Amino acid sequence: MEALMNWLETQLADNSIFTLQTLGFYGEGLVTTVQLVFLSLIIGLVMAVPLAIGRGSKHRWISLPIFLYCYVFRGTPLLVQLYLIYYGVVFVEGIQETWLWVILEKPFVPALIAFTLNTAAYTTEIFRGAIKSTARGEIEAARAYGMSRGLMLRRIVLPSAFRRALPAYGNEVIFMLHASAIASVVTIMDLTGAARFVYARYYAPFEAFLFVAAIYLCLTFAILYLFRYLERRLLAHLKPASG
Amino acid sequence: MADTPIPLEVRNITKRFGDAEVLKGLSLKAHKGDVITLIGASGSGKSTFLRCMNLLEQPDEGDVIVHGEEIRFKQTKHGREPADWKQVVRMRAKLSMVFQSFNLWAHMTLLENVIEAPIHVLGKPRKEAIGHARQLLERVGLGEHADYYPAQMSGGQQQRGAIARALAMDPEVMLFDEPTSALDPELVGDVLKVMRDLAEEGRTMIVVTHEMSFARDVSSQVIYLHQGRVEEAGPPDEVLGNPSSERLKQFLAPKH
Repeated sequence: MEALMNWLETQLADNSIFTLQTLGFYGEGLVTTVQLVFLSLIIGLVMAVPLAIGRGSKHRWISLPIFLYCYVFRGTPLLVQLYLIYYGVVFVEGIQETWLWVILEKPFVPALIAFTLNTAAYTTEIFRGAIKSTARGEIEAARAYGMSRGLMLRRIVLPSAFRRALPAYGNEVIFMLHASAIASVVTIMDLTGAARFVYARYYAPFEAFLFVAAIYLCLTFAILYLFRYLERRLLAHLKPASG
Repeated sequence: MADTPIPLEVRNITKRFGDAEVLKGLSLKAHKGDVITLIGASGSGKSTFLRCMNLLEQPDEGDVIVHGEEIRFKQTKHGREPADWKQVVRMRAKLSMVFQSFNLWAHMTLLENVIEAPIHVLGKPRKEAIGHARQLLERVGLGEHADYYPAQMSGGQQQRGAIARALAMDPEVMLFDEPTSALDPELVGDVLKVMRDLAEEGRTMIVVTHEMSFARDVSSQVIYLHQGRVEEAGPPDEVLGNPSSERLKQFLAPKH
């Protein structure tokens, strides 16, 4: 480790911007970005499954609220949602006296809430489309073989819908990664936040932002690769024999 | 009761789609080992009749009795519905269906398709289900195809796989809904051969088909439907060999 640091220091010796300190900022920013995106995607995914099922319910008092939720969160900018949640909570009567304030005071949790609600809305729509396009014949076969509604959903409809949703969901993951850059406007030191800091300190826009762009590109490639791998494994059944 | 109950009996089935009455009081009794073929022009109601037997369609009137157990219905504002869906689920497990378009579950391999309902509906142990499934696949000539996905197989192979899936349920009655109509002509033979074997081994089968040779050679009873009514019914020699109704004569006449 020591040797690595020394090596890095000599590499960075004749440049004034990328010091160990600024690289440290980028490093911390990377951790924050990954945490924020990963957590919001996971929670959003877990929320989206029941929401997508409820969205297709024939009971209007279940499907209508979910429709409205999706419509509002997909119909307004994420930045506005973030502002509303981050600046809005302060004005909730009495919230500053509760334990909640300890976590809501800092920007991370409000941003996580905004991102989660946003991605859950998009993911709900992706899953709903996939569920709706389940082959009628396969559902009919499930019914004819004595499956109850719950069993059919668990064994036939959802497994087949998730596979079909995979390519669209991969796009949503990349979209969330890039959208997370706006977390920096509510003072979160994510990747973009780190870049803004370096830019402001050294007045070096190209170095600061090209470097961060390269990191985003690497992350995007990693996500693309992961989804390509998942698609190869989980969508094998759609390929004809010769493929 | 001394005798075993009749596997499947339906009485007076009536079905309406809107104003159109497509089934006008149809009855049928399948004793053990019977092979009943339903024939008729398209639109005669034969597929709908078959689908009423396992309640994929809800009959507006009439009784369905599976292995001596009568399905209970109730009237709702949407029409007539089974009173107890658990009962329906239980009885569907005794009737397995083979569809015109196979309807194998596309995200599962053939073996997974065959073991799915025995494990999750009948509660069979996995190991036992797999053993049984392999035997059945061997039997329909797909022993080598257990790990193929449906999209990787020909229509004929898929349909034979679907028959293996149906057999895996150890059904009281097998329902076939035009099992060869979606197949290329050269693939029909393999599927029909499997069905003939099943008939010979004494399976109770109800078959909607356009294959007259199958109806003639294999069935114990042929029912000719016309516009939702039984126009003629009886043993194949009589119905197909010596039809009395003018319509059936026309239906059977070679088309030019």
